[in-house]
Amino acid sequence: MRDVALYAGRRVLRAGVALWLVSTVVFVVMRLSGDPVPLLLPPDAPRSEIFRVRAELGLDRPLPVQYVTFLGNVARGDFGRSIHFKTPAMTVVLDYLPATIELGLTAFVVAVLVAVPIGVVSAAHRNSPLDHAAMAVALVGQSAPTFFLGILFILLVSLKAGLLPTGGRGDWHYLVLPALTLSVFAMAYVARLTRSAVLEILRTDYVRTARAKGLSETLVVAKHTLKNAAVPIVTITGLQFGALLGGAVVTETVFAWPGMGRLAIQSIYNRDYPVVQCVVFISAALFVVINFAVDMLYGVLDPRIRAR
Amino acid sequence: MASSIPASAPADLVVAATVARPRERQRTARLAAGGGVFVLVLALVAVAAPWLAPQDPERTSLRVRLVAPTLEAADGRAHALGTDHLGRDVLSRLVYGARVSLIVGFAAVVVGGLVGSALGVVAGFRRGWLDTVVMTLADAQLAFPFILLAIGIIAVLGPSFPTLILVIGLSGWVSYARVLRAQVLGLRTREFVDAVQALGGSAVRVVLRHIVPNVLSSLIVIATLELARAIVLEATLSFLGLGIQPPTPSWGGMIYEGREYLDSAWWISTWPGLVLMATSLVVSRTGDWLRDLLDPTLRGE
Amino acid sequence: MTGMTRRELITGAAAAAGAVAVLPGPARAQTTQKRELIVAQGGDIAFFDPHMSTSSNDIRVSFNLYDNLTSRHPDGKLYPGLATEWKLTAPTTWTFKLRPGVKFHNGDPFSSSDVKASIERTYDPAAKTRVSTVFSTIERIEAPDPGTVVFHTKKPDPLLPARLAFYGGQIVPEKYLKSVGPDTFNQKPVGTGPIRFVSWTKDDKAVLEANPDYWGGRIDVDRLVMRAIPETAPRVASLLKGEVDAITQLAPDHGDRVNANPTTRMIGALYAGLYVLAVNSNVKPLDNPLVKQALSLGIDREIIVKELWRGRGIVPNSMIAKGDNHFDASLPPLKYDPREARERLKKAGYKGEEIVIETTVGYTANDKAMSEAIQAMWRDVGVNAKVEQLEYSVRAQKLRDKSFKGLWWSDPTSTLSDPDGMFWRLLGPGGPQDYWRHARFDQLGDAARFSVDEKFRAQAYKEMTQIFLEHFPWVPVIQPYEDYGIQRYVEWTPNPNQQFEIRRFNFRFRRA
Repeated sequence: MRDVALYAGRRVLRAGVALWLVSTVVFVVMRLSGDPVPLLLPPDAPRSEIFRVRAELGLDRPLPVQYVTFLGNVARGDFGRSIHFKTPAMTVVLDYLPATIELGLTAFVVAVLVAVPIGVVSAAHRNSPLDHAAMAVALVGQSAPTFFLGILFILLVSLKAGLLPTGGRGDWHYLVLPALTLSVFAMAYVARLTRSAVLEILRTDYVRTARAKGLSETLVVAKHTLKNAAVPIVTITGLQFGALLGGAVVTETVFAWPGMGRLAIQSIYNRDYPVVQCVVFISAALFVVINFAVDMLYGVLDPRIRAR
Repeated sequence: MASSIPASAPADLVVAATVARPRERQRTARLAAGGGVFVLVLALVAVAAPWLAPQDPERTSLRVRLVAPTLEAADGRAHALGTDHLGRDVLSRLVYGARVSLIVGFAAVVVGGLVGSALGVVAGFRRGWLDTVVMTLADAQLAFPFILLAIGIIAVLGPSFPTLILVIGLSGWVSYARVLRAQVLGLRTREFVDAVQALGGSAVRVVLRHIVPNVLSSLIVIATLELARAIVLEATLSFLGLGIQPPTPSWGGMIYEGREYLDSAWWISTWPGLVLMATSLVVSRTGDWLRDLLDPTLRGE
Repeated sequence: MTGMTRRELITGAAAAAGAVAVLPGPARAQTTQKRELIVAQGGDIAFFDPHMSTSSNDIRVSFNLYDNLTSRHPDGKLYPGLATEWKLTAPTTWTFKLRPGVKFHNGDPFSSSDVKASIERTYDPAAKTRVSTVFSTIERIEAPDPGTVVFHTKKPDPLLPARLAFYGGQIVPEKYLKSVGPDTFNQKPVGTGPIRFVSWTKDDKAVLEANPDYWGGRIDVDRLVMRAIPETAPRVASLLKGEVDAITQLAPDHGDRVNANPTTRMIGALYAGLYVLAVNSNVKPLDNPLVKQALSLGIDREIIVKELWRGRGIVPNSMIAKGDNHFDASLPPLKYDPREARERLKKAGYKGEEIVIETTVGYTANDKAMSEAIQAMWRDVGVNAKVEQLEYSVRAQKLRDKSFKGLWWSDPTSTLSDPDGMFWRLLGPGGPQDYWRHARFDQLGDAARFSVDEKFRAQAYKEMTQIFLEHFPWVPVIQPYEDYGIQRYVEWTPNPNQQFEIRRFNFRFRRA
């Protein structure tokens, strides 16, 4: 038990460091253009507002003091006031977060539910036409740019066939194409990886013995390999969930899905930097949390890892 | 997105090299060569754009707006891939778009390669806290979707060629850093360092003469994979309006402009999209083949 | 009409959401049972406060949320609104009798003090409204009793009733506004109009419901939902799929598709105004009249009308829109002469300074496409032209602090069918587009505003046109047909001035 606690402790530390790093990067980026105040306030803000913000950010103090003030604000969740929405930036971002989670989670589930079986079947029927076809499709899926896939789906499924909406959020119809688009990369990746992992395990003596005993191929695969392959597959797919949230930026834009990613893009167009800052940070926090959870899960499942 | 496996994946997930047999090696080599030729051709097209493109890519001609692919349009010219909403020839814009993609792609790869290699060498040489910092940064960046950071930076600095190259370049330094670091660590035996110092060699000399040749093949593999990723990232940013600004043609920008006409003038978005997909596919596959040939151990990277 | 069985079929087919039955044949009457009107426009609402914005996305709502004293109907005539009658009781005095028994949405009674407070607010410098020059002819306002308002004008102003029908003339509740302040008023507006505010989700939609006690009769639906779909393709798609009942800013490129679709059609009116590139004449080299003349000469408007607008528009000849008083039909359309444009640039000593068009995408129909086309045309005559894309909210900001880098799209509406309510309202001193002044121009504009002698006014506007064509504070580009896409069961006449009138006299759903 003690090594689990140590492992967890190390991971928490890493998570904290990562969050701190992202905050620092955000701090640096905001000051790249010199004075961050014009970015954080509407141009016609009254002087009292300008003074207030300057004081709040400690802009008249030396840089290290500003940095500490900034970190303190971040810890409190204070990213300033959205210029466009006129409410605190954090409130705005949290409003849009659920839509992104809905999209990301759905894409993730779809990816895993489709990819793992395909990977297993491909491995079990190695070098068959099915295997080649599946891996070819996976290759294309992994190298295709997500935004163009989305456009293709809109063109073929929405416009030409009229089956699904072209964008926006509503009932489940609206979720299908965006989730599918977002899931493609992860799906392809996980399918290929699953296949590799299963192949690897199929090579082991343990499995050979089971086969020699005369058990059917499928049974062999199902019982023995899945259990062992589960660990690495879980890890990889868990990390992919993080990547999914990044791909969501593009997918949300293509399908006008009102999530955090689209909010970030719109906020850039609107020159609403407080919100941009906040989205970057919240996304980072989300990743850190997910990575931490995956690491913990992995650590629990595979004791060898805890030594690292 | 490169087909690289994140760092925290267990080492025993490394897939056994499947190219041990000579016949397969030959086949892979031929494929890799084919991929290389593709990149070369693309580069040639990009360089020779002014001569290859049938028309001025920025020439608007309202009389021939939204013309489907045709051999003769109202302006008496052929528009093999059609025209866009301002009457500009899609084929010409496609050809010039290759320029943008390749310039940004190659430049970003160079930037990322230099920064990554430098950081990797420094981390390997100095170890200690510097090493930890660099490696933590690497871990953090691998899991984090760089695109969000990219759009944040571009939001503040504004979209421009240099910003774009910088941002895309910085998104890919990690792979180089890890390879270089591993090499340096491997060479950092006491005898080796003593010998070099005895011979009066400076650190830079050591890097150039002893480290680089050994990592060259790995670097080539990484650079190829990174090129594919950079090209797609540039197109994505241009599609979002944060990359190459109109009227300069870029594949991502063209896809964006064609969105409005998807069901009436599908050719505006489709051609650049297909070319982008093909390029991404071929270049990343070439990287895979090169990896299988040159340095299978990179599969764990 | 159609037979009984078909009618049953139609009503039966109407789903809970109010779907439209598709009938065979192109132009058959469609009907609906819907109680909700959903409109998609090219941008979100920025202000519910009617005095803070004249942008089309806002006025479509504000003219229905509030009433004016007078109201201009599609036939072009002025009708009673909150005022039942009005008379010129002295050369500089207008007396208005107000409608009794009218209540604001919050129950407060409407009276003359609301009128006085509303109108005075428009030109109160502390209020910083966008309509501050609409009523600059008024000297003072009196409210002798709750049902009467008396306007004293500085000089004889025959157009006052017409002025009250438009921007700035929306009557806001004095008591409520004072008690909550302008910021809250903008978030929770209260008026006397046929619809009242329910909710607003920024960048998504605004929901309004029918005012059951509206003096002009309850409108034909229970709710109005204004959605923001800035990109043209999804906006058109939403109409074609039946997700919305009407869309605005329908670009001609998509008009054919909307008409060809059996359930929808395109409907438009010649815009009572112009689409112009407004010029920030304070920015070099746009302070040089020769440069601006060259810019105008460098635009091939004919081809923009013919190709980008599919012929749905006309080339303007000056800053006065066709259909307005004193439109000079004898003036030729603005000329396209690239050679002359180069000459003028040379004469002006133009050294290749950057000239920037800051354009929105979809706020004004075809704005981005026209910007890019014009950029190419200007480049052809040697202008270092650049196009920058702006988000609508940023444009609104730049309007307020006058920080445009060069040129931007403006769609000035002719509010009085008279040049005084069009270019003079905007370009006059202290107006929203005050970037350029000219002594003689200002003198004439002011005189024409207050003259009752139409012959004198005609002469004044003629001279002002000549000055305009020399200095180009605007570069007029087109007077287009402003097109909307509607479901065929919508019976509605578009206003030439973007008001989207849904009161009973102008809007209803065709029901079975």
